[in-house]
Amino acid sequence: MDQPDGHEGIGARARRQETERFVKGAGRYVDDIHLPNQAFAAFVRSIAPHAVIAGIDLEAARQLPGVIGIYTAAELARGSASVLAPPGIAQCPLAADRVRHIGEPIAVVVAESRYVAMDAALAVTVDYDALPVVVDPEQAMAPGAPQLFADRPHNIIEELHFATADVDRVFAEADHVVHARLRSQRISACPMEPRAVAAAYDPGADELTVWVSSSGVHGVRSRIAQALGMSEANVRVIAPDVGGSFGAKNGVYPEEVLLAYLARALRRPLKWAETRIEHLAATKQGRDQTHEIELAVRRDGRILGLRDRIIADMGATSRPDNSLTSAFLYMSGPYDIQTYQVDAYGVATNKAAHGSVRGIGKADAAFVLERTMDIAARQLGLDPIEIRLRNFIPEDRFPYRTATGALLDSGRYHACLRRAAELAAYEQRRREQAALQQRPGVRRGIGVSLVIEPTGAARRNVGGGYGACRMRMELSGAVSVFPNIGQQGQGHVTTITQIVAEGLRLPKELIHVYDSDSVFSPYGPGTGSSRSSVTLMPAVHVATDLLRTKILRIAAHRLGVEPGELRLENLAVRSATSPDRSLSLREIAQIAYLDIDLLPPGMEPALEVTGYFVNPNIVYERDEMGRRNEFMAYPYEAVVAVVDVDTTTGAVDIVKYVSVHDCGVMLNPRIVLTQHLGCIAQGIGAALYEELRYDEDGRLLNGTFMDYLLPTVNEIPDLVVEHMVTPTPFTPLGAKGAGETGMLSPPAALGNAIEDALAPLGVEVRELPYTPERLRLLIKAAAGAPSRAARDEEDRRG
Amino acid sequence: MASISVTVNGTTHQVEVEPRLLLVHLLRDVLGLTGTHIGCVVGRCGACTVLWRGKPVKSCMVFAVQTDGSEVTTVEGLAREGELSPLQRAFWEFDAAECGYCTPGMLMAAQGLLQRNRTPTEAEIKRAISGNLCRCTGYLNIVRAIQAASIEISEEDDIRVF
Repeated sequence: MDQPDGHEGIGARARRQETERFVKGAGRYVDDIHLPNQAFAAFVRSIAPHAVIAGIDLEAARQLPGVIGIYTAAELARGSASVLAPPGIAQCPLAADRVRHIGEPIAVVVAESRYVAMDAALAVTVDYDALPVVVDPEQAMAPGAPQLFADRPHNIIEELHFATADVDRVFAEADHVVHARLRSQRISACPMEPRAVAAAYDPGADELTVWVSSSGVHGVRSRIAQALGMSEANVRVIAPDVGGSFGAKNGVYPEEVLLAYLARALRRPLKWAETRIEHLAATKQGRDQTHEIELAVRRDGRILGLRDRIIADMGATSRPDNSLTSAFLYMSGPYDIQTYQVDAYGVATNKAAHGSVRGIGKADAAFVLERTMDIAARQLGLDPIEIRLRNFIPEDRFPYRTATGALLDSGRYHACLRRAAELAAYEQRRREQAALQQRPGVRRGIGVSLVIEPTGAARRNVGGGYGACRMRMELSGAVSVFPNIGQQGQGHVTTITQIVAEGLRLPKELIHVYDSDSVFSPYGPGTGSSRSSVTLMPAVHVATDLLRTKILRIAAHRLGVEPGELRLENLAVRSATSPDRSLSLREIAQIAYLDIDLLPPGMEPALEVTGYFVNPNIVYERDEMGRRNEFMAYPYEAVVAVVDVDTTTGAVDIVKYVSVHDCGVMLNPRIVLTQHLGCIAQGIGAALYEELRYDEDGRLLNGTFMDYLLPTVNEIPDLVVEHMVTPTPFTPLGAKGAGETGMLSPPAALGNAIEDALAPLGVEVRELPYTPERLRLLIKAAAGAPSRAARDEEDRRG
Repeated sequence: MASISVTVNGTTHQVEVEPRLLLVHLLRDVLGLTGTHIGCVVGRCGACTVLWRGKPVKSCMVFAVQTDGSEVTTVEGLAREGELSPLQRAFWEFDAAECGYCTPGMLMAAQGLLQRNRTPTEAEIKRAISGNLCRCTGYLNIVRAIQAASIEISEEDDIRVF
């Protein structure tokens, strides 16, 4: 479509509108909401990793001036939280008689001020009878291990198996089998805004309003209504500005349900803001998978089959998230591997519950596969780029059905990796590498990777398969937009505005997007899985078309011409053939709302539409083998990373980091780039620094920002980023989803680069993160005995 | 309770505070200046950075009573008569914010730097914001924004000093 003057349509590098209020300090996050007569909540949390609660002494805390009440599971079960005695809370989110991880909520204090609430929480004494602790999932599966849940034998909460018929034969006949054991570490998403909840109840109307720092308001509303025994229709959940989520704010948390409950029970507006210490201990944590992977390979590097056993540490939960499935289905990544077997186990341990962290499951899969490809290359004496080029799915085989049933929409993997190599001057760097190894105490390594990232998850009972957008043209011609997915910093408002501006030829000042509010946002699954571009944005496009079509039909009727003859521009509809025949948007809106007798016969009044987009690339029903397609599109990224490893300190210096990213059509290339840069930075944190460390007694060793290391500005090198555009054929806009892919690559590419640097010393780097401590220990240990990698390296050179 | 007088963004406030009240809570909960955010309350994330006596401090590391008789500037004090400061404009233009939560602290750390040094090197910029965590942008755009603002400011005769 033509881009009219002053319009910033689809694909424009439009400046983010949201940023203006953020630079003014005028964003409005949950903790910024001050309600009249508001009280504050604070939580008493378990300091025991696994214990029976023998007693809770609330007396000292109750004596503190300003304390309104302290509530435990027992009291909530009795319904004694209020003199009005509402019915007890279903599915109490406080630990009743047993705790299973550090940070689990045991009691909640309500007080007149923030400080008094925290004082009182500290004054509560809990007696624990310690139970045996298990923090290693493999030990947790073993006979005789402490059991977390009575109905989950061997602590296995989820088990998945898939195999094609030919696996054993292919492995038996292969020239060579590559084996690796690889582990991703436990990390925290750490959005800069911790979680927060505010709640207020209007007894006259029986309406409960909850403000929550969350990725999805409708799921929170359903759970609150269910727990409180209220009708969903009487609960309103609003997510105002949300200071990042990265998966951490997906789903529903106990604090959200409790604040809602207590606000109603106490007839007081309430607020709770999570501390960072609570965030690190109790907010859902990610990754933490161990893979035993095998590749059956031909001498020339062609992969004939893949076999993997995954053990995922799900922490103290009896309900699996989708991490294991996402890894289980996508272990073959960008490669043409139709012989496939994966056996996967999700295991409960005494750590905080596992949940979404940017790249859930898919990051573990990408890391394991891409590390294994390099291990295979080394064992076969092949260049790591060459082995990939020999195995990538060729361009002409898309859409490509994987062994597990996923339909990969499109891809130009060969071109993508070749371009990254070119930008990084790969050949030249390889030639220089030997000379650089002469430097004392420093080793140069080069690593490559190509990851795919499944986006737009949709499953039975979970949903996610469509986007929805309500849109209303007001009497003035301005447009109000109500998307079904909100944002936590992704710039959705800007992107949505671009789509509407282009379709209706409106200046952006006349378009206003309302973010998440369950009262007016259409039902939606919440932001996650990079699904906005593959569901919501096409739905905005559909809604815009519906509105445009209705506007044109009204005008055609009034002007006595065919709709196809009309042009919508400059806030008016005019005839292309006789431009003097026109109606302004105001005039059309007046007909639609006020002078409805002038509408075409049979047309409904109003200029209010809802657009839906059902992404066609989902297969819900599993076939007899269990094959299905749970994701809509598959963006990908090639990386070439060059590192120097200091062999004395173990420190890694990223000399060069080149990314070539293909997320299909970029609805706003500026927003994509900004997200991608930040995504890579989080990936660098996950590769080199971040790890939630639990000791064998289940104690979290680094539960504050003093010791849980996020990358600062000094840890992020200059990044070279380029985009390729291969549109997905499955949406009208061609976008595949962005904002997660960049996080998948650093653990793989940097791991490959580090092992490339250190393999001649006999070092194998198979666990994340690559901290100086870990690398130094590996270097020291290898100085004793040459490893498999060193022998391979020797074989190759010899 | 202690009685203090503190000037925030040019307005002097007389307030009664608990001696243990943190400056960040004075700003947010008492004075209603919610642009200053809280990310860790242990002085590690920088979301609460403000200028105190012209220098950047993490306002979770300062008691409100310590600011008696002194001047504090928050992000709300950067714009003048509704017009964004060069630094704010640059943050917007260079996509130096996404979720916006670290942004006020980043702006104040950068403002503190530019008031001392109109033409900082890249290394000086990085040092100035090395105590401010951002989880969205990967920092590169923030550094570029501060560089761009510094160029604009260095060409002006006068930089506002609080």
